[in-house]
Amino acid sequence: MNVLIVEDEKNLAGEISSFLSRENFLVEVTHTGREASEKIAVNLYDFVLLDLGLPDYNGLDLIKEAKKLNSGASFIIITARGAVEDKVKGLDLGADDYLAKPFALVELLSRINAVARRKFKVPDDDLELGEFIIKISSRRLLCKGNEVDLTKKEFDLLLYLVLNHGKVLTRQQLYEHIWGNILDDQYDSNFIDVHIKNLRKKLNAHAPSPWLETVRGVGYRVTTGADN
Amino acid sequence: MRLKVKLALFNLLSKLAVAALLLLFMPFITERLNLRQIDNELIEKREEIISMISRIGIEPFLEPETENSFGSYNILKEEFISLESASPDVDINQISVVSRLIDDEIIDYRVLSYSLTIDDKNYILEVGKSLARVHQTRRNIINVVILFLLFIIIITFFTDFQYTRLTLKPLDRIIRKLDNISSPDTFDRSRINTSTFDFRELDAALTGLMGRIKNLFEKEREITYNISHELMTPLSVLRSRLENMLLTGKNDPETETGIAESLKTLQRLQSLVNSLLLIARIESSQYLKEDSFKINQVLDEIVEETGPVAEDKKIEIEKKYFFDKIVNKVNRSLIFAMLYNVINNSVKNTGAGGKIKIETDVDNQKRLLVTITDNGKGMTGDQIRNLFMRFRNRTLNSGDGTGIGMAITKTIADFHDIQIRVESEPGRGTKFIFIFP
Repeated sequence: MNVLIVEDEKNLAGEISSFLSRENFLVEVTHTGREASEKIAVNLYDFVLLDLGLPDYNGLDLIKEAKKLNSGASFIIITARGAVEDKVKGLDLGADDYLAKPFALVELLSRINAVARRKFKVPDDDLELGEFIIKISSRRLLCKGNEVDLTKKEFDLLLYLVLNHGKVLTRQQLYEHIWGNILDDQYDSNFIDVHIKNLRKKLNAHAPSPWLETVRGVGYRVTTGADN
Repeated sequence: MRLKVKLALFNLLSKLAVAALLLLFMPFITERLNLRQIDNELIEKREEIISMISRIGIEPFLEPETENSFGSYNILKEEFISLESASPDVDINQISVVSRLIDDEIIDYRVLSYSLTIDDKNYILEVGKSLARVHQTRRNIINVVILFLLFIIIITFFTDFQYTRLTLKPLDRIIRKLDNISSPDTFDRSRINTSTFDFRELDAALTGLMGRIKNLFEKEREITYNISHELMTPLSVLRSRLENMLLTGKNDPETETGIAESLKTLQRLQSLVNSLLLIARIESSQYLKEDSFKINQVLDEIVEETGPVAEDKKIEIEKKYFFDKIVNKVNRSLIFAMLYNVINNSVKNTGAGGKIKIETDVDNQKRLLVTITDNGKGMTGDQIRNLFMRFRNRTLNSGDGTGIGMAITKTIADFHDIQIRVESEPGRGTKFIFIFP
């Protein structure tokens, strides 16, 4: 998939770019709105990551231009936090999602994937993990045909880890994804640990879950057969 | 003591002093006035008698028995006239007070003694007037004056009191204006209606001062907001870079732990900046207050959120809803955050096997009360005082906290005019009471 990163902060653009490249995206970077406008007019992108705080251009105009050109690109807006009006305006203009700085790269990836799944109408496949099956569409977890009873938070946590399998997710990244509300800064690492503990207890009651790993000092990771 | 009471008391005392002085000198003054009046009368009488003598001669005045003296008392012994012959060398003309024994009764008289010579014979004429009635009159006058003064003092005390009360009313209003504000933003800038120049000046000075303070506050908020905002981009760069390094998976375990630790530090910085930004945004009213919802529902959600951690610590959370209310015109996310912070802190500060009680109730003014009680560590008076101060509150922190969570709670409460009362005792636990308007 083609991604255009429009971000005037070169270092940040570079980091996002190298991350998405590793995730097999075709990435182009531009630091000015003018150049972005030209690129959107000429090239076809699946995604535009747009920082609204461009010095030379009103980021929202880029969305308008793209819609006029019928470019088909999905916009994910990036702004410094607090600019609620920008978020609302951006979403009104047809942006697909919104991320406040500073965000987790895995969160960006999961938003892109979510938009992509909606856009290309990818059916939510069942995911297999050892003896467990996650039914994403109906939000259920089965083990050998038996239902594993998870709370909403536990299910979200598991799904996020599974969708990012192979990557170590820090407690902060997990917390921000699951509890993403006004208070995500009053975050408490203990929350994640307690939920993982409960989750493991429920899983192990049905079958062993060695694929859910604790990475000491860093966070948690789900490893599937595909990661080895 | 209230100013109006002080003024009224001073007025009363000064009037009493004047009255006392008056009463002190009254007998003396009335005495003098009376004597002068009597003296004039006596002199008039003397002239009358002298003119009578010159008209009809002295004989009719001299009593036959004594031949050379004359005395006449009127029936009530109030006045008398006497005429006596005297030795030729007597020459007097004086007025004095003399006590006379008449019919076994001593009566004070004011007596005018006057020597006159008729047909080469010397006489002394005495005209007297009893002072008994004068003393009586004086007492009566003093009594009337005392009553009158008392009456005047009482009447003027009340009118003075009312007048000072009315005059000082603008001052009360100014004080109330100052009492009612939680921040300079809420200061009522409308002018106090008064004809007293001083109060107008005071009111104007205060309004001006509040305006300046408000500007300073706004400037401070703006700076906080801008700094926080500007910090987001470098934070974002650092975070992305560290996450990228972690995600490549090419690090030795030591480096990996190092990166993770750096990310944790960065997370604290991010928390701090975001919290400051949140406070700045609430204080500059960037949040809408348009939600209405049932308070108990929000509490249920918070209990659900904090439940797993509480359960893990074997803390019992008890809900007691005596009252439910749909709160209007509030920001749901902020109210959630406000209550969540306190309940979450209780969970953090209560030991294993502890108990947290969440109650909703209504007070006698029909205000909604949300009470959160724990039997955890509790706080000292100093700790309670610093509880809502940014960065001062180091008591409730356990590792991840930024020391700003309770400041956020207070800011949200102020934004919604919610009062917070904190009762706590070290070792016994803490009680938070939220009083909704």
